[in-house]
Order: sequence, then C-alpha cells, then structure tokens
Amino acid sequence: MSNLSRRNLLKISALAAAATALGANQSDSNAPSWDGEYDVIVIGSGFAAHAAAVKSAMRGLSVLMVEKMGRVGGNSVINGGIFCVPLSPKQKAQGINDSRELFFKDTLKAGRNLNNPALLELIFSRANDALNLTLECGAEYRDFLEQSGGHSVPRGYKTSNGTGAGIIQPMQARFKSLPNTEVKTRTKFDKFITDDSGRVVGVEVRENYRFDNKLFDDDRENKSGDKKLYRAKKGVVLASGGFCADKVYRKLQEPLIPDNAQTTNHSGATAGAMLEAFRIGAYPVHVSHLQFGPWASPDEKGYGLASKFNVTASFRYGISVDKKTSKRYMNEIADRKTRADKMFEIIGKDENYPIHFCDSRPVKHMLKEQFDKLLASGALKRFDTLDALAAEYGLNASTLKQTVAQYNEYVKQGKDPDFGKILPKDGTDISVPPFYAMRGVPKLHHAMGGVAINNKAQVLSSITNEPIAGLYAAGEVTGGTHGASRLGSNAILDCLVCGMVAGENV
Amino acid sequence: MIKRVLCLLFCLACAGFASDELSVKYPLKPHHEHLALGCADCHENQGDEPSKFKAIGDKGCLSCHKSKKLLAKRLEFMDVLKANPHNSVHDGPTLYCDECHNEHKESTNMCLECHEHEVKEWMGVTP
Repeated sequence: MSNLSRRNLLKISALAAAATALGANQSDSNAPSWDGEYDVIVIGSGFAAHAAAVKSAMRGLSVLMVEKMGRVGGNSVINGGIFCVPLSPKQKAQGINDSRELFFKDTLKAGRNLNNPALLELIFSRANDALNLTLECGAEYRDFLEQSGGHSVPRGYKTSNGTGAGIIQPMQARFKSLPNTEVKTRTKFDKFITDDSGRVVGVEVRENYRFDNKLFDDDRENKSGDKKLYRAKKGVVLASGGFCADKVYRKLQEPLIPDNAQTTNHSGATAGAMLEAFRIGAYPVHVSHLQFGPWASPDEKGYGLASKFNVTASFRYGISVDKKTSKRYMNEIADRKTRADKMFEIIGKDENYPIHFCDSRPVKHMLKEQFDKLLASGALKRFDTLDALAAEYGLNASTLKQTVAQYNEYVKQGKDPDFGKILPKDGTDISVPPFYAMRGVPKLHHAMGGVAINNKAQVLSSITNEPIAGLYAAGEVTGGTHGASRLGSNAILDCLVCGMVAGENV
Repeated sequence: MIKRVLCLLFCLACAGFASDELSVKYPLKPHHEHLALGCADCHENQGDEPSKFKAIGDKGCLSCHKSKKLLAKRLEFMDVLKANPHNSVHDGPTLYCDECHNEHKESTNMCLECHEHEVKEWMGVTP
C-alpha cells in the first residue's frame, strides 16, 4: 500500500463513479474519499469472522467488523454449537482413540474425496489452537462428547448453552474489549475497492441498511442505506457465510430446489458477498454442492430444535423407519449427504416423512430445557408403547416391533449387517419406555462451495493463480475444505481455524 | 420524558398531539396511545411534516425505556426457559428494538423464524 501512488488507487471502474462523487472536495479528485480507515476489515460476524477479528485485534491491529443484519452472529448464533476437535484433551481424558488418519478417512469419505487436502491438513493441525482461542475468550463446553454422523469416534465439543452463541457471545465481548475495534451492524458490504495492481485496499458498504426478508431477492432489490468507503490498510477478511437462503443463486445451482424450500439458515444467508469476490477474480470452487441437514423436522420452521433430538438421541441411540414399510432404510449416523439422499428417496412426492425414534435413555444427553421445549412444541412426541407410536404415525405395529427386535439384536452383537451403523458401545438399544419420536425431513443447510483459499486463508485469483493481495477468506464463503458433503461439527472447526489463520496472516 | 407525558395528559390540546387524521395514518400502540403521546414526543426536532419523519432507533426508544439490560431484567422470569426475548440464549440483550417492535404497524417476533410452535408457549403477542 505504502508504495502506491494515490492515483493508482482509482482505475477500477466500480469505484470510479462513487469515488469521484465523494472525492469532489479533495484536492486530488482521483483518490477515494475514505470515511474511515482500519488495519483490517472483517465482513460478517459468525465464527470465522470472530476468529479473524479477535486474532487480528490481539495482534494490536485496528479492526472493523461489518454485518448486514441487525443481529451479530449470522447462522453461528442459531447453530447447534457442536465443534469437532480431533485429538482433543476431552478425547484423551475419556480414553477415545483418534488419529489424523481416522479424521482424514471420515472426512474424505463424506466429502466424496473432493476435499482439498491442504485445507483438511490445516483444520486438523490447528483444531486445538482454535479450541484454545475460544476458551481464552470464555467459551464453555459440556463434558459429554458428541458423535456427529460420519465420525468414527466422538469428537464434538458442545457449548454449555447448546448453541453456537456460546462461542460467539464471549468472542464478541472479547473483541469489543480489545483496543481499536468496532462493530457496525446493519451495514451491508457491497464492493471491494482495489488498486490497479488488483490489491484489495478497502470496501464500499451501506450503513443504516435494513435487510428485508419480505423481498424475494434482497441482494439485488434492497436499495436501503447510506454509502460509505472504508480503507483496509492490511487487508479484508471475507467471512460472510453461505447462501442457502438465497432463492436465486441456489436455484441456479440446483433447479429442483423450490423457492419455498425450508432451510436451517437465517434469512440473510445470501450469495452477494461471495459473488463480489468472484467479480474481482476469486476462483469459484464446488458452488453447486448444497448440503441438506438430515436431522430437521417438517413440524417446525427453520433450524428449530429437532436436530437436538435427532443428533444427540434418536440417530445415535435409536433408529429411523420408513412409514410405508415400518422398516429401517439407512445408517442413521452416516454422513449427511448419504442420509439426506436416502430420506428424500422415501419421502418422495407424497411427503412420506420418515419417523425417527429412540427409547427413554438417550434423551438424558440432551439439554433439559431443549428437550422440554421440543416436547411442548408437539414436534417431538412421547409414547408409552411401540403400539401407541405405530398408531400415531400409521406404522404397522407388528413389523415395527420386528424391526426394533432385530435392531436390538444388532446392538447386542455390536454389528449392523444391514446398514453398517456404528452401534452404541454402552449397549443402549430400544427397550426402555417411554419412547420418543418425531417426523423428519432434510433441510437446506450448508453451501459446500465458495471462493478458493490457500492454507494461509488467502483468496486465490483466477486471473493470476496467485493470492489476491489484501484479501483473505474463511468459513462457509470458502469452498473445497469439505468436498461434496461436510461432516456435522466440522463447520465450527473450519470457520474458527481458517478465521484464526486469516487473523494471523492479514 | 415522564414529565412531558404528564403535561400532555393534563393538556391534550398541546401542540404536537396527533390529529385524528394522523392517528389513522400513523396509529400508535395502545400502551403509547394511553399515555397520549404525540408525534413530536418521539420524533423530536424532526420538523412538522410527518411523512418526512425518520425512525427514532434504539436511542429514541431507550430515552424512555432506559436500557436493554433493564428491559431484560424486567422479563427475567422468562429466563427459566431461556426464552426471555430481551436476553435470549442466542443474542443476549443486544437486539435492535425494531427487530421485533414496530410502532405504526404490527410488530413481529423474530423468534418465530425458528421456534414457530414454542413461541406461543413462551410469550404473548409482541407489543
């Protein structure tokens, strides 16, 4: 930056008009009239953004965080708060044998071998550093390690309040406590400002922007807010998240996704910021791979609480059956894509939602208030007998009982010859009433694709095949780390590690 | 502010009290109407053309309602289910007031975006 002349700053067409107007009072009418300057500007406010912001602020840099929504945290504050940490202290304390090989095997299997090995190596090798960063900020985790689908061993640290807000809130407090930090909410990132060497030197945003979830396509239709230009002396970290709520862009990738398809994402999860990175030359990777979360329910909107029951209780310690056959049809803890594909097959066109259930014991692993809420909502139901459960959902009671008896036998033998599920080592089968059940449906959950980054979180340019100077990215806006399908709990790992690395390198 | 409200209660003809026409176009919430608030009580120093008034933001709301922490404290009894909308498990006492509360149109409840069924167990209609 220091060796660039001011004149050099201004050849980019997108900037020229704005800057000329804004720069009218300046002696050099070509220079952008900055409304403020920082060392680092972070776009977004989820896990990746917070890791980048906190880390760079800890280095003594001045940091601006911009978030278009009114609330801080995006999908991260409504997420389930399960953070995969391979080779963690809790695994060690609980005698769980994990290894690099096993982590890679699980992750590549789910990702259909499309994962970028350098990025996998990065998130594996820095997992404990990211965990420590959250602990240093004050995040708290339960002792019980979650075993999310597709993981061969339990690796999931779960926040003590059962949501990603258990990580974001302490990180936000830490960020604000550091000198020269600022958060601007309702501030929409619109454009990167580059100099004529292609280096990102700042951003154009709109303050007082108000996201409107009644619009079909907020990114293009919403004209609210006041334009401002902010200079980023060291660099910009793009951590704007995924686009599962972007009706236009997701349909371009998967034309069969209906506009009213349910997603677990907040309504602001749109593609605009990522598309701006593509506009200045970022390589797109895997953008058409959209992941459906298999643990949602059609009986509640959005992310809801269904996943709490299915991830922690029914899938791990119970089974899922097809209503038409009263039989199992999948490995309940396979990776997300395997399960979502199987579920969509049986759901078909007549909304034949599968039934997920377990007995009374696994629900004790849920946070009590989440269990109580889910039961009170009616999405989760309690039954004293399997007959009652069968009657409620129109299953064949005698076939269902055979299915359960067969599964219980598999648990006893420790082997599931039908679907290869890893069975509970503590012998928990489906035999102690009452039984808990719900209808299930996969919901649009995670955009696998995004901008290409290297293992320094630098965004790679399709123009030069080199990093775009001054531009870093982390989290769901990036592509390649998880391949075709991300394992549950690897998102927090990816976001925190890559955000932290961006904060170290910017 | 409270003094001004009292003044208005005694002096309904004061300047700034909304006309019938304006009160139809820009209706107030019953609790605010009950206090006989006029346009200028919220839209202070914004001139006298209601169509050009701007939203008063958190600062405006909190000039009477004091602080988000205090509002969270008043609904502390809802913490039992971690369902205090002013101190939720996701956001704490940080949300913009107008994320949910609107004065001249129906309020919304952001919690409904994910907790469709539970919200009615947790709380009444958003004022």
